Amino acid sequence: MSLNSHLNVLDFTLLSLLRRKFKNFGIILVFTFIVFITGSILFLSYSFKREALLILKGSPELIVQRMSAGRHELIPADISKEILKIPGVSGVEPRYWGYYYDPLVKANYTILASSETLPANNHLLQGRLPGPEDKGVAAVGRGVAKARFLDIGSSISLLSSGGDAMDFDVVGVFETESELLTADLIVLGQPDVVRLFRMPAGMATDLAVSVTNETEAPVIAGKIRYIFPDTRPILRKEIVRTYDAVFGWRSGLILTLFAGALVAFIILAWDKATGLSAEEKKEIGILKAIGWETSDIIEMKFWEGLVISLSSFLLGIILAYIHVYFFGASVFAPALKGWSVIYPDFRLAPFIDPYQIAMLMALTVIPYIASTIIPSWKAAITDPDEVVRG
Amino acid sequence: MDNGIIIRTENLTKYYNKGKANEVLATSGVSVGIRRGDFAILKGPSGSGKTTLLSLLGCMTRPTSGSIMVEGRDISHLPERFLTEIRRSTCGFIFQQFHLIQGMSVLQNVMLPLYPTGADLTKLRKKAEGLLEGLGMLKRRDFPVQGLSGGEQQRTAIARALINDPEIVLADEPTAHLDTALSRDFMNTMKELWEKGKTVIIASHDPIVFENESAGLVVEMRDGAVKNITRK
Amino acid sequence: MRRSTVFGLFVLLCVCCLAALGVTSEIRVSRFLVQSRDLSGITAALKLTDISFSDDARYTRNPSQADIFSAFQDYPGSIEHFPSGSVTPPPDFSSLGAPITVKRR
Ligand SMILES: Nc1ncnc2c1ncn2[C@@H]1O[C@H](COP(=O)(O)OP(=O)(O)OP(=O)(O)O)[C@@H](O)[C@H]1O
Ligand SMILES: [Mg+2]
Repeated sequence: MSLNSHLNVLDFTLLSLLRRKFKNFGIILVFTFIVFITGSILFLSYSFKREALLILKGSPELIVQRMSAGRHELIPADISKEILKIPGVSGVEPRYWGYYYDPLVKANYTILASSETLPANNHLLQGRLPGPEDKGVAAVGRGVAKARFLDIGSSISLLSSGGDAMDFDVVGVFETESELLTADLIVLGQPDVVRLFRMPAGMATDLAVSVTNETEAPVIAGKIRYIFPDTRPILRKEIVRTYDAVFGWRSGLILTLFAGALVAFIILAWDKATGLSAEEKKEIGILKAIGWETSDIIEMKFWEGLVISLSSFLLGIILAYIHVYFFGASVFAPALKGWSVIYPDFRLAPFIDPYQIAMLMALTVIPYIASTIIPSWKAAITDPDEVVRG
Repeated sequence: MDNGIIIRTENLTKYYNKGKANEVLATSGVSVGIRRGDFAILKGPSGSGKTTLLSLLGCMTRPTSGSIMVEGRDISHLPERFLTEIRRSTCGFIFQQFHLIQGMSVLQNVMLPLYPTGADLTKLRKKAEGLLEGLGMLKRRDFPVQGLSGGEQQRTAIARALINDPEIVLADEPTAHLDTALSRDFMNTMKELWEKGKTVIIASHDPIVFENESAGLVVEMRDGAVKNITRK
Repeated sequence: MRRSTVFGLFVLLCVCCLAALGVTSEIRVSRFLVQSRDLSGITAALKLTDISFSDDARYTRNPSQADIFSAFQDYPGSIEHFPSGSVTPPPDFSSLGAPITVKRR
């Protein structure tokens, strides 16, 4: 058969689909919506994962937490001397951080003591970070700045655990581009963090351990566990794995929810297709009687499935891209973000996994085509003389 | 192959639902020869097997036993594909119920049989328009078929049957839905085709059809068997 | 124009659209890759371990730092932080060395 014959059959199929505009555009609409939702989730979670992994490349190689009665507890800072003695450890630094609930805007902040200065050419911070020993100054994330209407030069007041209000001059604001990392941060000098949380002297939140060779980190973690049985060392590798899991889970859950919708749609499609109407059956008979081959009928049904599913897939995936990367996944970002008051704008870098797209295409287009062809098979192979009798 | 014979059947038998409780012997032992250029009528009471024989002759279905030779070729055991091929190249079928595809225009219906052959659609359209013009239907070209009168629907069906330049034109009860005047019109159209050299086979129990003076061959059927063959 | 051509053009248009989006993706990703150096600079300077994704609860704000029982730690009225809490898996315990088992005497 020539190319033209295929085009002719496609022509006929389109003509035939256009006869039932309402129904077919309805199917395309629903189908597009499902591809749009699923595609958005895939885009979103994949970008998150890739971004998180890139951003967290700078994380400490090893974090040592102290556990007490199953809870994360403050750790004595002086055990860092012991840890430093372990071969392969190049440095240990206590971290001082914690959560702060701001009843004014009902938001949770993350309070953090600064330890190092940022390189001057870092474009993501306006102003500066407080020095480790600075008092009364703060650098805030964009989310905090927005919630409390802060800018460089304004001041923010926090209530310490001791009950007294502490005022901080804002000397730095993180840029919007860094929101995914810094949205809810308030960076203070170390003495201020200790005072704000009333941390006992000599205690830190946890210890950041740097190692000379990251491949040895698990061994070092084992040794730390051995010397200090009440600690829990967390490897950078595990952080990375956590993010793999989180976005696997998050997207997985929503995909499961939507799998429900998808199944409903497949049932609908199946029902539509298997309940091949008497009219459609008759049309197939007529086509056969006037000289169409079985293969032509099957080809027509193939085109029918392809036209609907491919159009829906293409439209859905384009809309999903626009939704996630131009509109910040506005449709379901709230669901992903939970109840947080401060959350980052999803200005995600459009990382795309061609494999995922191909999978999505295979899972939408092929089953639909199959569900169009298979039910018409029987009608297509019956002798056309049935139709003669009408 | 004896010249002049376009379709010959030999002991043609067709069962429906063979081997089941509702088995029906629709034609039994039918042997007829139809010559090229014949104007043949299949006549007989209802249920006598006219439609069955017609669809066997038109390659719509295969016999249970016996053989059908179309242009010297035994088609009773050909696979489906070849049967379709013969149906498409040599037969034009006009159905009792017209069987037009609803929702499409007259022109599209007429063009339909040749879509899968890879025909050039512009040429095909010209040809279809020519046929419609011959039948006085050109002005209805773009009308959806469901809005047409019975006579117009039949003329659309005739144009569709002729689009592939068939050697043989077959019609089943063509006058059943028409009044006397339209029935005569139909017979005149068939006569014109016959005069152009087509072989015409019509199944009918309508006197307007089988008493027509052009009808050269009348095959009378009863209970699935041929009762009488008269050739004028 | 015949319908199959229209459909072909539609598909072509969509594919071009996708290709264009692919190009913007490349551009934005490469821009992000440059920016990510600054971002991981902040991570390193502040010794951050998690992204600020959802600060409903400690275990959603810092999933990698969450302790073993964190899902049960919040005040009693807050059984769960839906939906973020319900999709956050328990932390990875592999570094604890030994599996956690309940000992019975
Ligand atoms: N698909 C079928 N299944 C079972 N029996 C059938 C089938 N088609 C036809 N028959 C039977 O075969 C016999 C011949 O039917 P056919 O339609 O050929 O008669 P006919 O001469 O065309 O009658 P009419 O003048 O009413 O159209 C009838 O008894 C009919 O009931
Ligand atoms: Mg009949």
